[in-house]
Amino acid sequence: MIYLMLLPILFPILMGISLLVRKEMKNRPALLITTGVSLIITALLGLLAIILARGEMLLLFNLTATLPIIFKIDNMGMVFAGMTMIVFVCAGFFSFEYMKHEQKEKRYYGYYLIVFGILMALCFAGNIITFYLFFEILTLSSMPLVLHNGSREAVMAGLKYLFYSLCGAYMALFGLYFLNKYGNTLSFSEGGVINAELAAGNIQLLLAVAFVMILGFSVKAGMFPMHAWLPAAHPVAPAPASAVLSAVIVKAGVLGIVRVVYYLFGASFLRGTWVQTAWMILTLITVFMGSMLAYREPVLKKRLAYSTVSQVSYILFGLSVMDAGSVTGGVLHVICHAFIKAALFLCAGAIIYKTGKTRVDELRGIGKEMPLLLWCYTIVSLGLIGIPPTGGFVSKWYLAVGALESGMPGFSWVGPVVLLISALLTAGYLLPVTIHGFFPGADYDYQKLQKKEPNSFMTVPVLILTVLSVLVGLFPNVLINFIQQFVTKIV
Amino acid sequence: MDFIQNFPFFSIILSMFSGTVCSVLPRKAARWVNTIVVSVAGILSLILLIYLIGTGESYTYMMGHFPAPWGNEIRAGILEALMALFFCIIMLLSMLGGRKKLDDEVVESKHNLYYILVNLLLSSLLALVYTNDLFTAYVFVEINTIAACGLIMIRQNGRTIEAAVRYMIMSLLGSGMLLLGICMLYDLTGHLLMSNIKESVELIMAEGTYHVPLLITIALMSVGLAIKSALFPFHAWLPDAYGYSIVSSAAMLSSLVSKGYIFLLMKIIYRVIGFDVFDGSRIIDVLFVFGLMGMIFGSLNAIEENDIRRMIAFSSVAQIGYIYMGIGMGTQAGMTASVFHILSHAATKSLLFIAAIGLTDVSGGSRKFIDLTGAAYRNKWAGVAFMVGSLSMVGVPMFSGFISKLLFAQAAVQNHGKMLPALIVLAISTILNAIYFMKTVIRIYTPVEESKYESITFKNMKLYAVTLVCFIILNVVLGISSQPIVDLIEQGLAMFA
Amino acid sequence: MGTNLFSNYGEAVAMILFVIGFTNLLLQKNLIKKIIGLNIMDSAVYLFLAEKGYINGRTVPIVVNGVQDVEAYINPIPSGLVLTGIVVSVSVSALMLSLTIRLYRRYHTLDLDEISIRLKKEGL
Repeated sequence: MIYLMLLPILFPILMGISLLVRKEMKNRPALLITTGVSLIITALLGLLAIILARGEMLLLFNLTATLPIIFKIDNMGMVFAGMTMIVFVCAGFFSFEYMKHEQKEKRYYGYYLIVFGILMALCFAGNIITFYLFFEILTLSSMPLVLHNGSREAVMAGLKYLFYSLCGAYMALFGLYFLNKYGNTLSFSEGGVINAELAAGNIQLLLAVAFVMILGFSVKAGMFPMHAWLPAAHPVAPAPASAVLSAVIVKAGVLGIVRVVYYLFGASFLRGTWVQTAWMILTLITVFMGSMLAYREPVLKKRLAYSTVSQVSYILFGLSVMDAGSVTGGVLHVICHAFIKAALFLCAGAIIYKTGKTRVDELRGIGKEMPLLLWCYTIVSLGLIGIPPTGGFVSKWYLAVGALESGMPGFSWVGPVVLLISALLTAGYLLPVTIHGFFPGADYDYQKLQKKEPNSFMTVPVLILTVLSVLVGLFPNVLINFIQQFVTKIV
Repeated sequence: MDFIQNFPFFSIILSMFSGTVCSVLPRKAARWVNTIVVSVAGILSLILLIYLIGTGESYTYMMGHFPAPWGNEIRAGILEALMALFFCIIMLLSMLGGRKKLDDEVVESKHNLYYILVNLLLSSLLALVYTNDLFTAYVFVEINTIAACGLIMIRQNGRTIEAAVRYMIMSLLGSGMLLLGICMLYDLTGHLLMSNIKESVELIMAEGTYHVPLLITIALMSVGLAIKSALFPFHAWLPDAYGYSIVSSAAMLSSLVSKGYIFLLMKIIYRVIGFDVFDGSRIIDVLFVFGLMGMIFGSLNAIEENDIRRMIAFSSVAQIGYIYMGIGMGTQAGMTASVFHILSHAATKSLLFIAAIGLTDVSGGSRKFIDLTGAAYRNKWAGVAFMVGSLSMVGVPMFSGFISKLLFAQAAVQNHGKMLPALIVLAISTILNAIYFMKTVIRIYTPVEESKYESITFKNMKLYAVTLVCFIILNVVLGISSQPIVDLIEQGLAMFA
Repeated sequence: MGTNLFSNYGEAVAMILFVIGFTNLLLQKNLIKKIIGLNIMDSAVYLFLAEKGYINGRTVPIVVNGVQDVEAYINPIPSGLVLTGIVVSVSVSALMLSLTIRLYRRYHTLDLDEISIRLKKEGL
């Protein structure tokens, strides 16, 4: 039964590899059916593994005597795994229509499935070395998604993504050496693994190591000052790829930070130190700067990328406060942001697919052309801004309240203020699309209007994600109770 | 005495005599003799390794009729047997992978010569690994050099001859210094056998006399071997020699010849000078610093390079730097990491050379990156192999390179004085490695619309593909089940002391 | 220090010769001069060894008129080493000279740097 947790990891990876090595398929439906069925089976296997193998630990083999490869399904991993599965299946079905106008579909689906499996492995990783292993492979296997269309900009963006991620991963690895020396174990355990006896006298060194590790993983999470790969990678990648990149892959960095801070060093070790302060300042800068850059950005996908930079740092801010409420908010925002950002990118993708328009100022009257899609866009935008009753409101509420209650001098009110300003900016950069889309103005030529609503491969995934993001807001208690339960143990 | 204890001697003498026999055999027979001899030497080493693990102690083996202080000796321990085994495997695979190129590029009358040289190289490497006598070591160092020189210029054009001349000049400088060092050591101690010299060196250290001459001796021997194994400032000969010789030569030069010298240096450190004495001298810091510089400058040179073979050659400079950094750390852990990196780099670098030739062959023989675009689709096996080699070099887990980097870093964490420079340079060098290797991988996997060049199928390169698969397996084995090998290395190093 | 140097003048000369040979091998442009440097360097080492093995007032260890006392002979091992070394250095010199001949036939010059420049022009 314990080996069950390997299935959602191995199955998509093997399917992906078999797609990659197979000869170019002439029969498009066969390819789509293979991919679709694989996606659904993976999600079901993941669900099965979560239900049946929850809390169990699987020692796969020993890389070296001190470095075992361990898988373990804990609550934090479950949250991330659930989010990953939903977004991957939705974006996967969306791409069946979207990828029609791109070349090399087979390669895209192959890597897409591999990335899915690797993300599941990241969620289930039981110690830092396993996590690092799959983190590296994640970078390498998701790079082909970024440089999919093979143009010069795409390759440059892919390389940028690669080097930022490798630098980050190496910084994370750097900490592993020290944890190996000063920790009891490398397995993730609630409350940290630092051996107090060994650490005595080396506190400053360990703090520096923790900071380097946080910075390393935050490269993937797009935290200032290492966020530059995000706006470069998103516009060139196919839209469903940007959706998973933005909604899930950056969350791998968040998961890494959660693991480092709460499961390796322990919140009590870092609370009140310069690491916390510096980290918090960086997140707040990122929150503000991301929104600001998004506000000034004319290209829709790039704007959404900057928005990701800002929103992921909301999560990181919640984590950096190290208060039960704010961490709960952060984890909840992981889910909300995943649904919302995936839906937004899919909307942008549908618009590009149908009209070829990429800039925001070209989108006048888009609501008349594809009303259903723009309604979805509007609802999830409201969620991202934080207007009730959407999920974004609940998570941001917890973030702000947690920060206020933490009682940290200065930050307890600076934080919420920055979050509020950023929320206004979010409204400022998301809603113009809605406004000009539905109200194109008096001079809009209704004669030329054509209904361009895409087919259900595109609309249904967006609808599902929209509904989910609203449901989280309507019935937040189910999730919050669950999250609070395990968050109180680690904070 | 067990019969198995004869095996080191057998493998040395077998390869040496088969070399002479090759000269009179027909071409195909010579090739068979060569393949069989290398495999037999490998099997003998494997049996010896198992035997030594069983007995758990090393032994010395008297050559000729004179006992210890006067006669010549062979010594075998776990580490020696492991090295010999590994050298045989790499040599076998390199020869198999480069066989087609040898047939294509070298005039037929020279093939016999090539097999003679390879057999000689094997015998000198085995002798370097097993010998317990410093002067014998010197003689075989020279034989090794001559054989390597022949390997470089077996395909004759202006480039290779020039590369061979440059290689010879640097090598001769190195062996001159090594010889002088050995003579001075003989002068100081009155012995040539390693174990006897060590006793005398301990006496000298205890009495506190002759410190300066001893220091000079250590310096001469270390620098001499460092020159021969292309440590950073002495690497000028390397890119030409590796870049223009035929592929099996390049693979063997980078993964065997230079590693043989490094192994000799390790032997000298442990078995002749004594680890503590060496650790106490300042030479170790010099090696450390040059190692670090090599790691960075080798990679920088590789980034600038526009020729895939020369790029891989420059990457060797960086990797040799890693090994010397490990030696220079002056801890047992550092030394273990270095020995492991010898194995890991040998497995990876020969893989890269062999894979690169497959890629250039399907690109009209051009080694320029612009022509290599999409080469991985034209030769799928070579593409995958090159990617595996690159990932290993960059240090992605599951491949051997990651384990050696991990071992280096763990060694660095233990040494407080050298921790920061070592870790920082490791980080920089990893990133630099990633830049040029991933750039190449992306290049060879960038599809081209209509290629000028024909692709090659499995049918036309069975042997080559099988070799590549063996190399990949070797790499992955080193990467996944490294622990037994690391344990063996540690045991072997313990036996050394 | 000075007296030591004087009483060991043979070794001192050997060291000076070694350095001369080493620099020649390293820095000369002309290949023949390089090879001469190589030979000087090797000879210096042999001189050093021979000087070390020589003991004042004794004879060569070759048995002519029946075996004499050990005290009568000099240390034979360094002489043996020198002989081995000479074999090595002869073969290496021969190899170097043959390489030089090949290069000269191709490029009609003995200057290694110029050969490199021409190689670059050839673009091989």
